[in-house]
Amino acid sequence: MEIFSQLIFNSIIAGAVYALIALGFNLIYGATKFLNLAHGVMTAIGGYTVFYFTKTLDWNIYLAVIIGILFAGLIGFSLDKFVYFPLRKRKASNMVLLVASFGAFTAIQAIIAILFNSRFQTLSQNTSAQKSFEIFGGVITQTQLIILASAALIMTGLVLLLHKTRFGKAIKAISDDEEVAKIVGINTNKIIGYVFFIGSAIAGFAGILVGFDTGIEPTMGLDLLFKGVIASIVGGIGNLYGGVLGAFLLGFVENFGIWKISGDWKDAIAFALLIVFLIFRPRGIMNK
Amino acid sequence: MTILETRNLIKRFGGVHAVDHLSIEVEKGRINGIIGPNGSGKTTLINLLSGMLAMDGGEIIIDDVQKFTQMFPHQVFFYGIARTFQNVRLFEQMTVLDNILVILTKRNVFSSLFEKHTEYHLKKAEEVLQRVDLWKKKNQLAINLSYGQRKLLEIARALVTDAEIYLLDESFTGLFPEMRKIVSNIICELKQENKTVILIEHDMGLIRELCDYIFVMNEGKLLVEGKPNYVLEGKEVIEAYLGK
Ligand SMILES: Nc1ncnc2c1ncn2[C@@H]1O[C@H](COP(=O)(O)OP(=O)(O)O)[C@@H](O)[C@H]1O
Ligand SMILES: [Mg+2]
Repeated sequence: MEIFSQLIFNSIIAGAVYALIALGFNLIYGATKFLNLAHGVMTAIGGYTVFYFTKTLDWNIYLAVIIGILFAGLIGFSLDKFVYFPLRKRKASNMVLLVASFGAFTAIQAIIAILFNSRFQTLSQNTSAQKSFEIFGGVITQTQLIILASAALIMTGLVLLLHKTRFGKAIKAISDDEEVAKIVGINTNKIIGYVFFIGSAIAGFAGILVGFDTGIEPTMGLDLLFKGVIASIVGGIGNLYGGVLGAFLLGFVENFGIWKISGDWKDAIAFALLIVFLIFRPRGIMNK
Repeated sequence: MTILETRNLIKRFGGVHAVDHLSIEVEKGRINGIIGPNGSGKTTLINLLSGMLAMDGGEIIIDDVQKFTQMFPHQVFFYGIARTFQNVRLFEQMTVLDNILVILTKRNVFSSLFEKHTEYHLKKAEEVLQRVDLWKKKNQLAINLSYGQRKLLEIARALVTDAEIYLLDESFTGLFPEMRKIVSNIICELKQENKTVILIEHDMGLIRELCDYIFVMNEGKLLVEGKPNYVLEGKEVIEAYLGK
């Protein structure tokens, strides 16, 4: 019973983090139709920005978190403006954009590794003193509760943004038919820029949450990218709700998969889930 | 006054000369028909005028002063051009109402971030959807509409851009009589508002009834142009359609 509750908590927390990454990934994919691999490194940008401001400069932690989120968004926005947009303008194929995004990923990851050391380190001030709660025999920490609450908040906010605002409608129109959206006067490039900002900022926030829960290292983006991409494909690529669903499914499969075996199998189980879907339902759960 | 002009416009697909040194002048405030057999380059011409295809030569001139050796999709709205597609292209996953509302968005992206649609926009959307008899379908997804309703929604979407020039590619094809009536009313109203219409159409009865002027295309070239009565009696047109 205790281990069962614990596994459920772990699944939900992992799912929430993956969901945040999948949200931004799918939002960007929907608008641009290419797999933005650089999305993963936004988590490291968020994490290390907070690390720098809190541990090196000793700034207020909440302020540092806000700066971290904004900075990740800004980097995503700039990538679009200075790399992807010029490529789109030259009618580069989605394969070229994918390769470019992988280049951006590698370059940014290398810069982080040079600026900071490659050691795994936590963002938490004092791990041992962290408050934790026991529910149904499982343990959940205060950080993890914050992860859940903020993930729920961001998902709700994004849904409202997409469904209730004119900006959200423009994003949907671009996802449906970018060329027609242009012709009827929607400023598609500007809106795609904002989409990159929002998606990357959310990924940065996910990286910060991971940093407080466990820790950060320069290469953290790759693992989180894989999880976000798997969640997106399983749920239905480009579909925001699908991505969230896929994220929680991945969280559960991953954590319950290692119930009786070593935790080292986690990533293998995640990829097994991906392969099962690629073979039997490549369009994912939600896409028709 | 000439509102739109092409000079030696060229578009090739491999060896096919889809538009071949085409020079036409379109008068403001008229309903202009473009006729010609299948494959004569009518749709390609509209695709060039709306920046959806790259030109291989020649130029497009808008309002006598704006010269283009290449049009881009994002310029089309700015220069007051709206179009429909022979194969209808809607925002499929959006509702009928949202297909219209998304165009009424202010051009300022940042303000649109937090803003909802105003009463004014909703009123305008209702007005145009009433005009094409789709207000009762406003909450349906575009993808679920019937063929004719899709065509009408696309016309409504062109109307709300408030353009000066409307490029309509076979807007009547496949429509029921009552829907045809709606479309021809809209075209006549556009003329009353001194807007310019370019209509591709195969039904010669409609062309005769609606158009002030006709261009006949054949194999990418301008075969003949003029008033409907003059052109439709001419032997060139009969030959182009029926062969010599
Ligand atoms: N995207 C394209 N790729 C290749 N050939 C095309 C394309 N679009 C049109 N064509 C060719 O150009 C010619 C003119 O086509 P189109 O403009 O569609 O004619 P119309 O609208 O008058 O029936 C045809 O021979 C057609 O096969
Ligand atoms: Mg055609």
